[in-house]
Order: sequence, then structure tokens, then C-alpha cells
Amino acid sequence: MDTYLEFRGIGKSFPGVQALDDISFTVSGGRVCAILGENGAGKSTLLKILSGDIQPGAGGVYINGAEQRFTSPYQAIRSGISVIYQERQLIPAMNVMENIFLGDIPAGRAGFVDRAELRGRTQEIIDSFGLPIHPLELVGRLPVAYQQMVEIMKAYRRNSKIIAFDEPTASLTDSEISILFELIGKLRNDGKIVLYVSHRLSEIFQITDEIVVLKDGRFVKTLETRETDEQELITAMVGRDIGDTYSGLKRNDRYGETLLEVSHLETAAVHDISFELKSGEILGLSGLVGAGRTEVVRAIFGADAIISGEIKLEGKPVHFKKPGDAIAAGIALCPEDRKEQGLVLLRSIRDNITAPVLDKVRKGLFLDKKAEDEVAGDAIKKYSIKTPSSDKPVLELSGGNQQKVILGRWTSSKMVTKVLILDEPTKGIDVGTKAEVYRIVCDFARDGIGVIFISSELTEVINVADRIIVMRNGRITGEVRREEASEESVLALAMSE
Amino acid sequence: MENMSAAKRLLRSKLFSLAAVTAVVVLIFYLIRRSYLGVDNIRGILNSMSLSGTIGVGMACLLIGGGVDLAAGAEGCFGGVMVALLISKAGAPWPVALVAVILIGAAIGAFNAFLINVLNFMGFIATIGVSSMLQGIINIITKARNISISDRGFWSIGTVAVANLFTLPFMIMAALVVVYGIILSRTRFGRTVYMCGGNRRAARLSGLNPKKISTILYINCGALASLGGAILAARMHSGSPKAVLGSELDAITAAVLGGVSFMGGAGNMGGCFIGLLLLCSFNNGLISVKLASYWTIVAQGVLLIAALIADYFNVRARARELKAAGA
Repeated sequence: MDTYLEFRGIGKSFPGVQALDDISFTVSGGRVCAILGENGAGKSTLLKILSGDIQPGAGGVYINGAEQRFTSPYQAIRSGISVIYQERQLIPAMNVMENIFLGDIPAGRAGFVDRAELRGRTQEIIDSFGLPIHPLELVGRLPVAYQQMVEIMKAYRRNSKIIAFDEPTASLTDSEISILFELIGKLRNDGKIVLYVSHRLSEIFQITDEIVVLKDGRFVKTLETRETDEQELITAMVGRDIGDTYSGLKRNDRYGETLLEVSHLETAAVHDISFELKSGEILGLSGLVGAGRTEVVRAIFGADAIISGEIKLEGKPVHFKKPGDAIAAGIALCPEDRKEQGLVLLRSIRDNITAPVLDKVRKGLFLDKKAEDEVAGDAIKKYSIKTPSSDKPVLELSGGNQQKVILGRWTSSKMVTKVLILDEPTKGIDVGTKAEVYRIVCDFARDGIGVIFISSELTEVINVADRIIVMRNGRITGEVRREEASEESVLALAMSE
Repeated sequence: MENMSAAKRLLRSKLFSLAAVTAVVVLIFYLIRRSYLGVDNIRGILNSMSLSGTIGVGMACLLIGGGVDLAAGAEGCFGGVMVALLISKAGAPWPVALVAVILIGAAIGAFNAFLINVLNFMGFIATIGVSSMLQGIINIITKARNISISDRGFWSIGTVAVANLFTLPFMIMAALVVVYGIILSRTRFGRTVYMCGGNRRAARLSGLNPKKISTILYINCGALASLGGAILAARMHSGSPKAVLGSELDAITAAVLGGVSFMGGAGNMGGCFIGLLLLCSFNNGLISVKLASYWTIVAQGVLLIAALIADYFNVRARARELKAAGA
């Protein structure tokens, strides 16, 4: 009988988020199964549970009907599961054969490594895959694609029954991809279960037998690859009700002058980016994780180097060497990772809010505590930040309140913000605060600020933004207005080849 | 918790518990040996604070700003040797020599800053390298011998004292503590030091300039370390090629005892001063009760680790409190 893998009622919640909810499906040996879903649908969490990296809160993983309880990745590997992540789990300073046999290196009685045996067995595996790799080559010197091959051979050597790939083609060239697909084909013919997580629809149609669609942490359906098409997949991925969070938003309907003009912007990560932003406009920037959205705004903000292209602010060309220059000119950025990049967690709410305006809250040599408290107090009141005083370290605030501290920083009475860039402003905050953030963003627009709104949540971006630019692989692939935007149309642009 | 009374807040504060520990340490030594609190011994304690304190002020600012200078001891040593050479061999008037030595220290600090902020090396490693280089150079130019100073004017830096208790080296150090304390707590620059030390990336994205701040702090630390070494040379009437070595660790110990976070972004000068007082009264006490000198090194380590353990429990208690409050 063939091997089969079953997820039964898997649930997992993190503080404030239900990442997975009652996921059940079965995959059998000799099949390649794609796991598909938007950002945040729960694909990575599911792989982490499979690999023993985290434990499910409910339900379990069953192999051939027997429940598997993994408390560590080691146990999952022993049970025949190999998960191949984007970040390769190889040791670059060791050679191919040592990596393939890592954790199970053949040794003689005295504990010395049996190099001849090691090399012979490695060569056998390499030959069976028909790859031009030498067993003694250092893994760190191999091209990325071949490093991935080493990972696959490692899984093969372990005699893994189940091999899962997380976005395996993200950093591969076309010819490398075809080698990878040949290997996956071989795994299938050997009766392995292959799970394949990818955003690239064309690949999924090329290589998989069935497709499991996840949505907001729930199982939607399993489709036979041969019997479905792109349209059906996208509908399955987005199909959900839109609540009335958005209908009550007071939008701005009068735009002012053009504030920001970006033409042919080129950096190490993004290419030929051109767009305009008007005063009072909310411009959404959409795309899958890694599409280059953050990189575009970091370049505009002076945080990353620009190779070529031009940025104009209110008609005048600007060159920001560092974020401080951009801030002085009236551009503000709320970064995507507020704990790592947005806030100094140990310091107080006041210190975090007045950081960019210290020059305006001092008397002579010394900082004017009273003026500082006024600025901070305004923000606390305006955004109803829950805190007894502005002295409280931001470390002790909830995620939503932390986000409001950053918004308070950029819109304080001492700041002249013309362009406000929000990178994933609602990430990891609860539904109620999210709605508050949408209201605040619309208020900014009505005050004449030009807002760039980056979000991985499709519903959010098409309902908050007036116009949406969609990116893929560092380039703009299209633009839609809110009236004509649907999750399907945006997702199609984000995933189109 | 928000309505905690002022008295209760004082009792809870780190500074207060540190001061209490210091008082207990002093009391124990006093009970063992009454002369511990005699004028001569107190003057000795205060005087011994001057070297690690002068270096410690620069070091504490640097630690708060997220850096560390393990070459500070060697910089101080170099300062002491250079001031002796300038006065005795080059015949420079001592005030000129003193200013020159501070500038030399600043230049070494600038070199550290170049390695760290331009070449992006880790401060920890880069300054170990600089320390080793400096120690070698010091030994080459002094042939590993003390360089004596016969300028009585320069000696007076070490001998002048107010009320026969507060020596000039101590008062210079105390003045530095006050001035840098005010800079850290009340000026724009001081605030920027805390923000950059607390989270370099967030500070940069808030429009601050972490590299500039770090550069200033390394230069400042080099200058103060060099000054500290020169003052010690005035007290000893000679520039010694090794008297100051290792004092960077005393400076770091005092700062960490005083609540400066090794991760940056937290601490203040008041805490550093009490930390220094604790460290020096402790060391002096161990000597005055005639404990073998190797044991003082052990005891110093025990003191530091005890402070870290106390801090660990403090942080845990705070975390529990926050959890209970549902924040």
C-alpha cells in the first residue's frame, strides 16, 4: 500500500491571531501536491508544523493512519519528513558529501569518519540523480540551484517519505528550475509524497497533480490540477465576504497638486519604477511578499541606495542621502517591522515621538520637557493611545498602541509631513485597532497628506486605497483604481508571469 | 501601580538598591576595621575612583550609545606615557602636554570610529586590535620602563585637595560625571545617544544619525581615557607602560553595576557614580582587611556576577508584574 499523509483538524493560534483553523486534507504517495494561498493564508505555519518546528494547538499529523507527535525537527526527520526551506539548511564550509550525510556520517569502530565509504555512497546518490556535482566540493561554492539539489539529495539519503518545498524556485533561473522539476519528477516516480508551496501559478500547473487551497488559515478545497484553471484558483484563494469595516470610512474626494513623482527608479532590488502621488490621495502598493514594495519606499525615503532614476517632491528633484534628509523635506515612513525598525522599545513614548523634532522642543542647550510632553500628549489624545503617561516605555504597550506611537511621531504638531508612507501598518494588530488605523489614514488624506499604503492583505488595500499599484519581482505589473479593483484583478497582476 | 507613592518608587528604583548595597558593604568593612572610615582611607577610596571614573564616564556614554571600547585602558596608558615624554623629554610646559595628550586620545578614538563606522567592524573586535597595537607601541617607545616626571607643577594635579579629603583628580572626575550627566539627560545630543543605542535602525529611520553619534562617542572616550592616564601619571610622578592596563574592565564593571545596559540605550551617570563608589569601596575594603590581592580579583568578579543576578531577578519580577497587569 502507498504511503499517505493526513492533516487532521489542525489548528494553531498565536497571540491575537488564529493562524490555522481546522485544516484537514490527505495526500498520497507518488503525488505532487501544491499548497496555495495568499500571504498569511497559513502555508508557512502548516509547513512548520509538519517539520516539527512548532506544535499544533489542535489536531494532528498522521502518516499511514498513525498519529505523529513531533516535539522537535529531529523527530520529524526520523519519521521520514524533510522540509526544504527557502533559506537553505546547509553548512557552507563543509563539502557536498558531509552535508548530504550530516547527522549520519558513516564511521569506523574507533569513531573515525570512513571517507571512502562516505564518498562512494555520495557518488551513488549523485549518479542516480545524474547531476554534475563533485562529492568533495564545498557547498558554499556551489551555485544556489545546486545547493538546493544537495538539499534534495540529503532528503533522499535520509529515505524521507515526505518532502516539502517552500518556494523552491524563488532564487533559481529558468534552466535551474527545469533541473529541479526533473528531480521532483523522480521523487514522484519513486512514490514519495511531495508538497510544493509556491506563488507561481504556471509552475503549479506544470508540476503538480493536485492543489490544496488555503484561505485565512482555513482549508478551502482540493482541486485536481488537470481539471482546474487559473481563474478558478484565484477565486478559491480570495473568496470571502467583505465586512462593513470599510463602508463607513470618510474618504477624501478632492486631490490637490502632485506631491511626489518617481520616474524610472532603479535600485539593487527594484527596476524601472514610475508613479505619481497627489496631495490627499491614498496610493496602495500591493504585491506578494518579496515583490519589492518595501524596497521602493525605502529608496524614496533615503534608507537604501538608488542606482538611477529621479524623484521629485512638489516638482523639485530631490536626492536624499539618509532618512534624516527625507524627513526634513516632509516625507515620513512607518516601517514594516515596528519593533525592529520603528521604535526604540526601551525608551518612553515621549522619546519615541519627539525623536525627529528634537530641535523644535528645546530651549537653548537643553530639551524642554514641557514642550516635549505637550507634543507627546497631543498624539496620545489624538490617537487615544492607552497609557497612564508619556513616560511609559513603548515596550510595555500593545502592538496597536505601538503603531499609534509611530503615527503620532510623524503627525505631531511639530512635524510637517507631506508624504506619509505606511508599510504594513496593520500587521499583527487586532481587528478593532485595524479599523481605527483605516479611519486615521483617511483623516490624513482629508488633511491633504499624500499616503502610500503598503499591505499584503488584499481586502484591506483595495478598500482603503484610492488607486493600487501592483508589483511583482521588483517591477510594477499594473495599476487599478478602487472602483474597478477586485481581489481577483489585483491578485492576477501580482502573480502574472 | 501608576499611583505608587514617591517613597515606594524610590525603594523600587535601581539606584536606591545599589546605594543600599554600597552602604551595607561600607558598614561591614567598617565593623571589621574601624580605620576604614578614617579620613586617610576615605581619601584613598575617592582618589582610586578617579582613574576608572574618568575612563568610566567616556565608557558609560559609549555603552549607552551601543558601543564599547576595549582599548580604553591602553589609550589611558598611552596618555600617561605620552604626557611623561612630552614633559620630561621634549620639555613641554605641562598644560600644553596635557592638552596635547587629550588630543592624541581623541585621535585614537577617531581611528576606532573609522574602523567601526566606516569599515563596519564590530566595536568589540576592532578595539581589541587597537588595544594590542597600542600596548606594543607603548612598550617599544618606553622600552617597558617607567618614564619619570620631575615637573612639580604637574605633580600638584595629584596633590591638591579640598578639606584634605577631596583630591583634585577626584574632583575632576566628579565634575565630568555631573557635566556628562546633564548632557545625557537634558540635551538633544544626550537623547540621541539613548535612541541610537536603544535601536540603531529605528533611530536612523527616525531621522537621527547613528554613525555620527557613535563617532563622537568613540572620540570622546579616547580623549577621556587619555586624560585619566595623564592624571594618574601626575599622581605617580611617572608615566607607566602598564599601570592603566585593565582599567577599561573596571570602567565597564562600574557602569554595568550602575545599571548601564551592555546592549545599549539604558543607564545614567548617577548610577555609574554609585557603581564606581561600590566597586572602589569594595576593592579598598578587601585590601584594608588584608585579603591576599588575588582574592580581590575573585571578589570583584563575584560582585559583578551578583549584580547581574540581581538584575536578572529584577527584570523577571517586572515582566511578571506586566503580565499580571495584562499589558
